[in-house]
Amino acid sequence: MKKYKYYTLTGLIALQITGACFAQTEKKELILGLSYINDNNQVQYLKANTKAKVEGKFRQISGIPVSFYIGSAVPANLLGKAVTDEHGLAALPIPASARDEWNKSSSHSFLVVSDSSVSYSAATTSIDLTKARIRLDTAADKKITAVLVEQKGADWTPVKGVDMKIAVKRLGGDLDVSETPTYTTDSLGEAHADFKLLNLPGDATGNLVIVAKVEDNDLFGNLSTERTVPWGTSSGFISDYDNRSLFARASRAPLWLLWMATSITISVWIVIFYLFVQIWKIKKLGA
Amino acid sequence: MEISARQKIIDDLLPKKFGAKGRIWALTLVIVCLIGMYAYYRQLSKGLIVTDMRDYASWGIYISNFVFFVAISLVGSLITAVLRIVHVNWSTPLTRIAEIIAVSAITFASLIIIVDMGRPERFYNLFIHGRLQSPILWDVIVITTYFFISLLLLYLPLLPDFEIMLKAKAGGGKFLRGIYSFLGSFWKNTPQQIKISEKSVRILCITIIPVAFAIHTVTSWLFATTYRPGWDSTNFGAYFISGAFLVGSGAVLVAMFIFRYMYDLEKYITQEHFDKMGKIVVMLALVYLYFNLNEFLVPAFKMKKTDADHLLGLFRGEYSRVFWFALTTSMFLPILILVFRKGRKPVPAFIAGVLVVVGSWFKRYVIVTPTLLHPFLPMYDVPDSYKHYFPSWEEWAIAMGSLAGMLLIITLFARIFPIIPIQETISEIEEHEKV
Repeated sequence: MKKYKYYTLTGLIALQITGACFAQTEKKELILGLSYINDNNQVQYLKANTKAKVEGKFRQISGIPVSFYIGSAVPANLLGKAVTDEHGLAALPIPASARDEWNKSSSHSFLVVSDSSVSYSAATTSIDLTKARIRLDTAADKKITAVLVEQKGADWTPVKGVDMKIAVKRLGGDLDVSETPTYTTDSLGEAHADFKLLNLPGDATGNLVIVAKVEDNDLFGNLSTERTVPWGTSSGFISDYDNRSLFARASRAPLWLLWMATSITISVWIVIFYLFVQIWKIKKLGA
Repeated sequence: MEISARQKIIDDLLPKKFGAKGRIWALTLVIVCLIGMYAYYRQLSKGLIVTDMRDYASWGIYISNFVFFVAISLVGSLITAVLRIVHVNWSTPLTRIAEIIAVSAITFASLIIIVDMGRPERFYNLFIHGRLQSPILWDVIVITTYFFISLLLLYLPLLPDFEIMLKAKAGGGKFLRGIYSFLGSFWKNTPQQIKISEKSVRILCITIIPVAFAIHTVTSWLFATTYRPGWDSTNFGAYFISGAFLVGSGAVLVAMFIFRYMYDLEKYITQEHFDKMGKIVVMLALVYLYFNLNEFLVPAFKMKKTDADHLLGLFRGEYSRVFWFALTTSMFLPILILVFRKGRKPVPAFIAGVLVVVGSWFKRYVIVTPTLLHPFLPMYDVPDSYKHYFPSWEEWAIAMGSLAGMLLIITLFARIFPIIPIQETISEIEEHEKV
């Protein structure tokens, strides 16, 4: 009986080892996202992001090669390739070589494709886009007008009912120009905002950058336009290089320190000098 | 006073030629100095890389030695100035010993700072481009000032002795008599000269006390104005000064014993002197112990994260042996020995003095180095040699050479000049007889 026990145990261990040796690693499903971005009506670009479920949590996946296409995923429509960075993002400016294809129509489809790899399965995603842009106007009474227009054939026509953000561009993010977080365009495609921020520090001459944005719109993607306005307060750099301080250079020592240290040193050295004179007097008396 | 008694005092106190022991002692010091000079030559030619100092422990035993020298030099102001101002006459035989210790120590304090510089030929930049805002410049100013004041305090009371030595044809050689003649042949012991001399010494005694306090306070500020664990303390000035008085007094105890023994000065440096100096050392050790309690107990009670590594390293870590050795030898043992009357006899007092001096040297090491190896920002991605410090042989040789140099100055001084003021001793005995 004991002998059978050992046989069974050995068999189970062998099965485990064989299973471990021949088991294939299961590929994870890669989730691919794609967005279109047009900053300040300059060079447009596409941005892909990659995610996968790792240890029960969605994480950004770096090092994934992706290919961007316009229209359909055929080699002739390839816009370019990129590899995702440590944040799982890969960006590709729409190249000049795609100008003819881009100009053919006012709306396009873009695709991003990731081939199957050792760890991740293949993935594809696409977006449909209508060309649009934002115009930004400001008036002297600190009123801001942002106009959203889309391309229809050869014309640019206003778009109604799109949420837009109008803000001041700051170092750490955008600051709303008033208490209203978003503005909806009217039948003229216009959104109006009042600049209500008082004494906002600007650059050396008091300039601020106003930005109007459409974010993650299903039809237009991400659009933004900027305009510089003189509505801030001047925050020019005031150098303290020439100020007298304990941490300044030698010639800019604080006056109180100069006065104290010098007067103490001179006083003591006057005493020393006086004593040398006394020695000279003693010498003279003995001569 | 009878002429024969006066002559006896002069004969007893005139400088004497070295015997065999004296020559061996002086030769040993010269050899140690030469080894130190060779090590410094190596450091100059190869750079500071021959030391074990690196980015973190950038102050090693050179700076510990500097603080030690500055500390020991303070004894000049204590024994000569403070006791003279309060008319404590028993200290007269000890004044010159204290002053020569002060002058030799402050000389080597200046030199060891230059040794610590990687490019000593650029030393002059400190004067040309020195920032008055920096405690380093204050230290340069105050050390120079203290050196001259100490030199004057050594020289002025020597003037009457030059006349005695010239009359007695002391020294035996033309060279030494030339020195005496150059330094003091103009002293004729006239009432006017005596008046000017006494007034000058009084002025010096008053002046040297604040300068002496300044020199060691400023030295403590070199550390305390730097934001680091173990140095960031408002207690540092008083802590350093009390420690300085202690080590200086310990050094005087040692020097008293050696000169008494070597020059047969039992009549002049008596058991009473050891008894009184012993009491002073006990008092100073207790004061220093009090400041040590303040320095360590208060931060240890709070045990802030930034201080904890440093303090625990001292109490029970890497530096615990040297830390407890320094405290035991510089304070606990000397107090235990000297607090009893029998402990204030010459031999035990000498042993206590040696313990104070040795312990105080290590105490300076404990103040300087462990702090540097516990920076606020953790050591990251640095070579292993940056994380520890143990002096190289060149550092030891230079440090020992500088200590030997200081002792050599004292030794040569005692060979050339009377180590106990002759004229002052005679005057005091005469005054005592009048009373």
